[in-house]
Order: sequence, then structure tokens, then C-alpha cells
Amino acid sequence: MTTNKNLEVNVHHVTRVEGHGNIYVNVKNGIIEKCEWAIPEAPRFFEAMVVGREWNELHHITSRICGICSIGHTLASLKATEAAMGISISDQDLKLRKIALHAENLQSHILHVGFLVLPDLMGVGSVIPLASSNPDEVKIVLGLHRLANDMSNLICGRTTHPQRLIPGGFSKIPSIKQLLTLRDNLQASVPALQAVADLLKSLAPKIPDFTRETEFIALSNPDEYALYDGKIASTDTDSAPVKDYLSYTKKLGS
Amino acid sequence: MKPKVAFFDFAGCEGDQLQIANLEEEILDLLGQVEVVSFREVMKEHSDDYHIAFIEGSCTRQQDEERLKQIRKNASVVVAIGSCATIGGINSLKNYQNLDTVKKIVYGENASLFDTYLARPIDAVIPVDAYVHGCPMTKEEFLHVVKSLLLGKKPEIPNYPVCVECKKNENVCAFERGEFCIGPVTRAGCNSCCVNEGTKCWGCRGMVDNPNENSQKEVLIKYGLSVDDAIGKFKLYFGWEKKK
Amino acid sequence: MDDDKKMHIISKDTFAEFINNLIADNSLNVVGVKSKGEKFAFGPLESANQLRLDYDVTLLPPKKYFLPQYEERVTYDVATGFKAKDPKESKSNVIIGVHPYDIMALLHMDEIFRETKSDPYYLERRNSSIIIGTNIQKMSEQCFAPSMGCATIDYGYDLMLTDLGEKYAIDVGSHKGADLLNKYAKDVKKAFARDIHAVGKKKMDIVNMTKQKFNFSSELIPEMIGRFYEKDSFWKDHSEECLSCGSCVLVCPTCYCFDIQDIPDLSLKKGQRLRTWDGCLLEDFAKVASGENFRDTKANRYRHRYFKKGKYLFNRFGFVSCVGCGRCSSNCLPDIANPVNLFNDMYAESLKSGIEIDSATVPDISIKTGTIIEFAPKLATIVKKVPMTANETMFELKLDDETDLGHQPGQFVQVSVFGVGEAPFGVSSSPTKKGTFELCIRKLGNVTSKMHTLKEGDKVGIRGPLGKGFDAEFLKGKDLLFVAGGLGIVPLRSLFNYVLANRKDYGRVILLYGCKEPRELLFGDEILGLEDRDDVEFMSTVDWCPEEEVWTSNVGVITTLIPKVDFDPQKTYAVVVGPPIMYKFVIKDLKSRNVPDDHIIVSLERRMKCGVGKCGHCQINQLYVCKDGPVFNYSDIKGVPEAL
Repeated sequence: MTTNKNLEVNVHHVTRVEGHGNIYVNVKNGIIEKCEWAIPEAPRFFEAMVVGREWNELHHITSRICGICSIGHTLASLKATEAAMGISISDQDLKLRKIALHAENLQSHILHVGFLVLPDLMGVGSVIPLASSNPDEVKIVLGLHRLANDMSNLICGRTTHPQRLIPGGFSKIPSIKQLLTLRDNLQASVPALQAVADLLKSLAPKIPDFTRETEFIALSNPDEYALYDGKIASTDTDSAPVKDYLSYTKKLGS
Repeated sequence: MKPKVAFFDFAGCEGDQLQIANLEEEILDLLGQVEVVSFREVMKEHSDDYHIAFIEGSCTRQQDEERLKQIRKNASVVVAIGSCATIGGINSLKNYQNLDTVKKIVYGENASLFDTYLARPIDAVIPVDAYVHGCPMTKEEFLHVVKSLLLGKKPEIPNYPVCVECKKNENVCAFERGEFCIGPVTRAGCNSCCVNEGTKCWGCRGMVDNPNENSQKEVLIKYGLSVDDAIGKFKLYFGWEKKK
Repeated sequence: MDDDKKMHIISKDTFAEFINNLIADNSLNVVGVKSKGEKFAFGPLESANQLRLDYDVTLLPPKKYFLPQYEERVTYDVATGFKAKDPKESKSNVIIGVHPYDIMALLHMDEIFRETKSDPYYLERRNSSIIIGTNIQKMSEQCFAPSMGCATIDYGYDLMLTDLGEKYAIDVGSHKGADLLNKYAKDVKKAFARDIHAVGKKKMDIVNMTKQKFNFSSELIPEMIGRFYEKDSFWKDHSEECLSCGSCVLVCPTCYCFDIQDIPDLSLKKGQRLRTWDGCLLEDFAKVASGENFRDTKANRYRHRYFKKGKYLFNRFGFVSCVGCGRCSSNCLPDIANPVNLFNDMYAESLKSGIEIDSATVPDISIKTGTIIEFAPKLATIVKKVPMTANETMFELKLDDETDLGHQPGQFVQVSVFGVGEAPFGVSSSPTKKGTFELCIRKLGNVTSKMHTLKEGDKVGIRGPLGKGFDAEFLKGKDLLFVAGGLGIVPLRSLFNYVLANRKDYGRVILLYGCKEPRELLFGDEILGLEDRDDVEFMSTVDWCPEEEVWTSNVGVITTLIPKVDFDPQKTYAVVVGPPIMYKFVIKDLKSRNVPDDHIIVSLERRMKCGVGKCGHCQINQLYVCKDGPVFNYSDIKGVPEAL
């Protein structure tokens, strides 16, 4: 399909996303002159920062890659350190680490859905006006966010830069009583989660109908929803063990 | 009339801004006291008319200085939030290496595409009125600083080591557990949160005004660290503080 | 059970039942020594089998139950003012496993918190608590309690346990203890002679559990340490490695210094006043808003701790305030805090330098008990606000309850600004001015800056009048030479105006007033009015006069005025108030004019928090500026090194 359209899109600092980006699109008479996704973020050079540091410091440093998915970065680093040093963790620690990843996901998804996407679907610029126009929904989102953080705090110490995750396991673990209370709270939150899902479903028509051919890559495990262990799977190619991750990623300079 | 506030970020992990989201229901109380006019992560709107600017992240490129200076012009009060902004943070680890080497390690032949200089806290570029230390900052201390500013008072932050809080919390000293802690020279205010969680203090809040660095180093060596490793403990977060 | 006989025997099983019965009673808060990692700490007991009476030392002493790490004492609401928390405790503490040295420490604290002005919160907790002590089974390496006479104790507990293998001996120390056994224990038998022997033998063996010993008789400590005040190199060498981390004082059972912080909530209209542990080893302990730090070196702070424990409290109460628990020593990372090492070093150096210390001092003690401290400020309204200079403003205040402040000239008040904090200010008006009182406040830190933004009609909190003021009665009939430097005119004015209001009761009245430059002159109109009086001799001076200002009187520091005044040193009393630097020079000049030491009266200032002689911040050596001062007679403080 040809068009004589002129189009200029200049999004300086995309808002309501975690991470940074600028979008610049310039179309003249139907011809794309420029289509750019630019990362304005200053590089921090973590791969170089860790050179020369001790094995028991690496997880602390790499956790700082991101404040929202700290738990993920920390655990990836710990897995690498433990593999390199021949350190094994107990079954209990493995389970706790998996719960930690769920806590991280819960927090991040609630944040994404409730704070970042919902405003768009409701036609406002941020969650702030929603606090006055839809106070009940906002309170439910805040309550779920709090629960997710409580869960992270209990297992990891805190969501951002979790102290309890150390090589070999945990520096401190919750008591059975605390875990049982957490479980009760999680079960009790299901109606709230349902309410958020229902709200989204009702707003689903507002999500633009846009698809494009994409290769999706994720961790995959036949026994469970893979967050911690698995193989790298792709919609286009065969799966591969995690240690071959570089064959799946293409980064400038590697 | 509620003061207008804005949030900005530079080279950081966005963890400190997340702590603001982690205020949960208290966000509503906070919104009762301030009007947020710019906060990229959370809102679409932006305005240059703000009274208090909160800045996260270090300045790690020459070209970022201009944006900082503009913020300083627009705001009456500038608050640095999180270690990267207050003391340089973990970013300053790279300052100990040759920056060209650093770029090569990460980007190989494409190193020249990326600009960088010594990572520095924002007060190395613009004057800063208040600091919320920590990696990440705690929401309690953030609120303390905000309340102080709203009351027109200079926020009082501790000038004593983390040991004070560890003792109040009746922690078994990290050294007794075989850890190498630099709490004795690190500024308190975090309520010794890392030692509370069974680990040790890494120094993320920066040093107290007059740290006895020599004594801290001697203590680390006495408990079994080599001289180089003891010195290395000071490089994690104090990279900019020590070099200036 | 016969409680005329004070020792009883209980089997270990029955003892466990006794403890579990206590725990089951919800009106009691039962805490005891439990393991914490490789160490021990007092904590809530869920069952008797958590109790570890075989411990050596706890991380923190039981003082945390009487002087908590954080404590809300006052709440405020901008609409209604300040309210003190009710000291009544809802539950009684039962504290199990307290070693004799920690019991002794509590007895020290009792006297400290009862003296002159009593702390109702501490005393209420002490009265409602039950102490079940235990004789030491294991001693930590750094413990030197035997040297301090605290290895065993015959007083201060409700019950005292001694482990005799299969059973415990229980010494009943009070009616409370006897009642406790009656109510919660059964099968408690009378002790036989052999049990009493066994307990006696155990107690004797305790003193041999430690290698930590003084090389001299510990009663010489107050005398010996007094000789070492000026030995700067001694203190510098011993404190070189000090991290100013405060560990030694925070874990100490006899330390009690505290800080006070005002914490508003997010509404900014309500909040709390929190009391929290502080320590004199911390760098900013004696630092004031102007930035001046009255104890700014590690050596000074380190020395102060030993002097407070070894001399000042000894002089005030008759005990060296250390019980030998050894916690300071084991918690000091650079290992410089062991009092045994320090005093042994001191003794060795005394021998080397030939300093003779052969007698122990006997202090002259008079301990007064008095009023209960009122923690909640009263509300007062600003009825007039008059800026006097660029930085100083006069506030005229009226107490909302319509009473007069009732102060003596020279006393001070603690002013609370909602949500910001509390700070001390000398009252500037004479008590003869009824209905309202005046403060003159320089804008410097948080409280003063906020105060300057308040308007007439706004309210603040007032505690006071506090401190020791000028003795206006005693000064009757004397010639008075007032010397005011800079801001010193503010408190001085309260006495000066009092004297003017009762002019015929006093002899000559001379006022010398100096400030840095003309535009810093305070109370300008009143000062001008003095020129018209023929019963007051007045002279003023400025350090210098900038070009753009006009000044026709003397130019030069305040001491340049003193030679211009003729006075009889025997009849004249000098009242001197000014910045710290001024005292040295003015007093020197007065002395050269033969003014006797006890004819010189000064007013000092230091960092203050509680204002009632408890928190430790305003201490100059053994004196509390807020309680023993701020007005001092020079003869009383000329031997006090930190004073001037």
C-alpha cells in the first residue's frame, strides 16, 4: 500500500515506562526518512565495574543494574557465581528464591498495570488524577503493591537491592509463622487481583489493535513456569542451554 | 498553596524513584502536600515551573551537565536522592579504571560510540540543598526530608556511623560473624538495615563528615582482610568522595 | 512458704513451671536472657526453655526496658498544643536473668533519675518492674565486675537465683519477690544450711572467673584520673584509633545521655517528640547551631567519658559510675575502650612520673530530690514581634493560661516550634514586667529560622523557667558593673531592667555594652534612653565601624572600655555575659583591677536538649549548664577546664 503521507513523531523521553527512550520518526511523501529508537540513558559499564572485585561482592554490584528487577539481576549473578565457585544451595533456598521471583513479578506487574498503563487506558496522564476520580480502584492497586513489597521484604529483605540474597543461599530466612501469614494474605488478595483483571478486561477494547511479526525469547521449563531454571526457548529456533545465551543476543560490541 | 515538585533521573537504576511508589497509601497523603508537575516514569505531563526538584542518578557524561544546570535554574530547592546522586554511588567504581579500557571491555570496537567521564554526584555539577542518602534511599528518610523542606527547615541527617543504629537494634556485630563491615565510617540514617538482614554495611550512604578511615582499615586488617582488600572496601561507594 | 527465711530452694522443673506460669499471665511482660546467634540478649520469653541463665553477658543491658532506645513522651497538635504521655505502664515487666553488675547499674540510674528533677517515666517503669537476678555462671573475657565490687549483690532485686546443679537457690529480696513466688510457684522449700553454704561458696568463686584486674586499688580512680586532665598526649594516644562510633556508650549499663527529636506526620499538623539514646563520644554531641563544637576532638570526647564515669558522677553521688560489665571493651572494634587497660596505663604512668596517689577522695555529697519533670510544653502566643537587626528579632510572648512566667533574671526557657524542634533562650525581660515576657532571637539554625517566619498571633510551646539565674537579692546594696558582649545583652537585660525597676536597692549601676558593628546594636531605643538617666553610667563600643555606618562613641573591643571606668573592686560585682571568646579577656582585665573571683558572675551557654540536667548535652566537666547554671559565679568555675 503506498501513501503520500507526511508524518513526524518526536517523543522526547517516553513517559510511564521503566527505562529510557526517545522515538523519532520522519516520513515524507510516504517515504520513511528516519525511524529511530534512541536510548538517551548514560551507560554505566557494569561489565567493567565488576572486574577485579571479589566473588562475594558481585551480586551486590549487579543488583544495582536495575532498582525494579533487582531480585532478578541479583539471582542471575548469584547463579553465575555459584556455578563458577562450585557452590550449591539447599532445596529450601531454591524454593525461597523462586518465591522471591514471584514477589518481584507481582510488584513489577502491579506497578506496570496500575501506575503506568491504566492511566493511558482511562485517558489521563498519570495515576495522580485517578486518585481523585477513581479512589477505590487506586486503593486496590496500592494495596496489592504493598502486599507484593511485603512479600519481597519478607523473603529478600527488600525489593530493591535485596540484602538477604547471598552466595550459597540466604543471610536470613523468614519463620514458618511469617510464611503462613504471607500465604493467608496472598490468598486473601485474590478478589483484589480479580478486580484489577476485570477492570483491565473492561478497558481491553482501548488497547490498540497492533501486531507484528516478532521472535519471542524466554526461559522455558517443562515442569514449571520458568523464572529461575530452564532453557532459553525461542518461537523461531531451537532452545539452548542458558550458558549459550550469547548466541541468542546481539549487542553492539559483543 | 502546595509547592510544585518535579522528579528527574540521570545515570541510575530508578530504584530511588521506585521507593516513592513504594510509599503505597502514603502517596495519597504526600499528594495532599505537594503538586507533582513532572515525573517521567509515572506521568505524561511535564512543566518547567517547579519549586523543588528531586534528582536521582549520577552525572556520568559531559553532555548531561547542561540538563542539570537547567534544573538548577528552574528550581529553588534541589534534592539529591539515592547514592548515585548524593555521593556518586556504585557508578563511581569505574573511576578507578582507565575509562577507555572500560568502554572497550563493554562495547569492543564500538567503544567510540559511547561518551563517558568520571561518574560523579550531582553536587559536583550544581549546588544541592538536601540529600537523601542510601542505595536505595528509604521511604522513611525521603519523607523526613520532604517534611523538613515543607516546614522550612534544613533536614537533619545523622553525622554518626551506622554502629549507633546497630547497637540500638541490638545486632550481633557483623565482625563477630566473620563479615567485613564498613559501618564504622558510614553515615547512619538507614537504621542499619543491611546488618539487620544478616549481612553487613557496604557503605552505600557515604562516609560521615570526619571518618577515621585509618582506624577502619586497621580493624579490617585485624579481622583478617589483606591490605589491598581493606582498601578495596572503600572503593565500592566512596570512589568520588575519596578522590575529591 | 515461710518468707521470714529469705532463701528458698526450687527444683529446676518446678522453676520452669514457675516461669511458664508467669508467661501465661497476660498482665505481665515476661522477658529473659535468650541466645541470639552466638551471643545473648534480653527478649520476650515464649517458654521457659528459651531461658539461658548460663550466659556470660547480654548485648544490651536491661536498661533498654527502663530507658528505651526510642520513646515517645510528648505528642503535639497544632490546634491543641502539647500533651505528655501518661507514665503509667499497662503491663509490668518481669525481667529474668539479670546479673549483679546490671542490677547495680540500675541502682546508679535510680539516683541519677531521681536527683533534683525526677523522670516520671523511668521511675514508673522501675516501680512496676520485677527483677529476677541470677548469680554469674560464666564471665565474659572483658568483664571486671569483681574489681568494681559488682560480682555479687545483696540488694536491688526481687528474687536472686543461684544455680546449684539440680536446683536453684532463690534469695527473696522484697515483698514483691515473695508475692511472686507465692502466686506463681509451688513446691518452694526452705533452704537448708548446706544450701546456704553452697551459695556462699559459689559467690566467692565468682571473683576468680576473670583475669581482668586493676594493678592498684580501684578506689584511687577518682583521685588518679583528676591528675590526668591536662595530660593531652595520654588522651590523644589512647584515642587515636577512635571511630567516634558510640558503641562503648550505647551498650553501657550506666550511660543515659539522650537526644530529643520532633517528628511531624505528613499532615504537618501533628507529631511526636521522641527521646532516643545519644552518646558523648559522637562527634556532634556538643555542637551548637552556630557550628561551634565544645568537644571537637576524639581525645576530648574520649577523656570526657572516663571523667564522667570516674570522677564527675563520683563527686556528685559517691560512686564510680562503672560496674565492670566489660561491654564497652568487647564492643570496641579498635579495642581502645577497656577501662582496665586505660586505668592500668594511667597508674603505670603515674608511677613513672612520680605522681603520688595514695589517698582516695571522699566527695562531699548532697543529693536533693525534688520536682517531677514536666515534659509537655505549655502554649504561648506571640503578642508582639519587633525585628531589631537584620538577624535578631524580639518576640513578646504571653502564656495561654494567662499566668506570669515567674522567672528569675538569668533563667531561660525552652521554646518549641511545632514540628521543627525545641531550643533554649535566655529570658530578656525582667520579672517585674508582668503578663508577658520577652525573648530576643538570632536567626541561625532550624528552630530560630522558623521562629523568624512566625507572626503575631502564632503559638509556640514553652517549658520553664529553667536553670539557675542571677541572685538579685544577694546583689542588693552592691555596686554593679554590667559587661555585655554582642548577644550577651539579651539575658543580661533581664537583670539590668530588674535592677532599674528596683533602683534604690542597688549601688552604682554601670553598663558597658559592645558589639561588632553599629548595625548589630540591640535594644537601641532603650539604650538611648539610658543616656538621659543620671543614676546609670553607660558606655558602648563597637569593634569597628564600616564606612556607611555612623558611630560617635568608642571604637574598640569591649575591654577597651574597662580602663575608662573607675570602680571599687571590693564593693563592685561584675556581671559579664557574652560570646565564649570574650570571657577570657574581660576576666583577665577585671582580675588585674583586683576584682575578687567571687565578685565576677557569668552566664554560659552550651547545646541543650532536656534543659533539666539529664540528657548530658550541656555538660561542662561535672556541671550541667542547664541546671547548675547558666549563671555561674566565677570562683565556682575557674577550676573547671571546659568552662571558659
